[in-house]
Amino acid sequence: MDIQLKRGLLDVCVLAAIKDKDSYGYRIIKDMKPYLSLSESTLYTILKRLETAGMLTVHSVEHDGRLRKYYHITDSGLRRIEEFKEDWKEILSIYRFVVKEEDNE
Amino acid sequence: MNKQEFLEQLRQGLRGLPREDIEERLTFYSEMIDDRMEEGLSETEAVAEIGDVREIISQIREDVPLTKIVKEKIKPKSPVKPWVIVLLIIGFPLWFPILIAAIAIILAVYIVFWSVIISLWAVFASFIAGAFSGVCSAVYFLICGKAVTVLSMLAVGLLCAGLAIFMFFACLAATKGVIWLTKKAAIGLKHMLIGKETA
Repeated sequence: MDIQLKRGLLDVCVLAAIKDKDSYGYRIIKDMKPYLSLSESTLYTILKRLETAGMLTVHSVEHDGRLRKYYHITDSGLRRIEEFKEDWKEILSIYRFVVKEEDNE
Repeated sequence: MNKQEFLEQLRQGLRGLPREDIEERLTFYSEMIDDRMEEGLSETEAVAEIGDVREIISQIREDVPLTKIVKEKIKPKSPVKPWVIVLLIIGFPLWFPILIAAIAIILAVYIVFWSVIISLWAVFASFIAGAFSGVCSAVYFLICGKAVTVLSMLAVGLLCAGLAIFMFFACLAATKGVIWLTKKAAIGLKHMLIGKETA
């Protein structure tokens, strides 16, 4: 897959994984597993990028005598998901057009 | 491999990156291992699931931008001692011109590369101009009624057009070559600063 496209997809996937409630690294990976496999270092890079872009915030919570980092989506992160949905409506209609052209050949 | 060994190897492998960066990554991986163990995996299994530590190191090294590495490299490791500052000030007339000269040489070499590219494109442009003016003057001499001159002008014009096409591909290849060289130099610089992958 095109690297730029994949990067955008992964960003939105991670945002979706923390959309309903705050989540932590391992749970994000587990939640995404049925759809796509994500390595720890890739996830780290994505989380860092989203944090810098202000799409999520990080806070530590004590769990079982150790600290665990939880990721919380911001308004700008939620907006990103909405934008993504809009973009894909357009992409899907282009896709249908491309597929139709091939069928006619 | 247990968690401690994994984290220690990771720390060794990331040497050269900013300290906060390394600590943050280590905390991240440590949490990932702990969470897996909480699910019932043994320590060794949890570490194995994270993946090969050498692969992780090389991926992180690729991800970290060059500017960050350079910044870390020029940051003094320990507080600068007073005599070093004195020496730097006294030696200023000596090291400053050398530094400037070194930067100028590197810059000059780079400019030379691009000058070649620019002159190649200039040749290409002049062939285009030659083709255009050849055809134009052919039309002019046609009006004047000088048949031999018309033919020779047309011939020159077409020759220039043909050469321009060849020149275009040559220029394109040369430009791509210099861009490739620039990228290689940047990667080389990165390796020079943080060292080759340590096994």
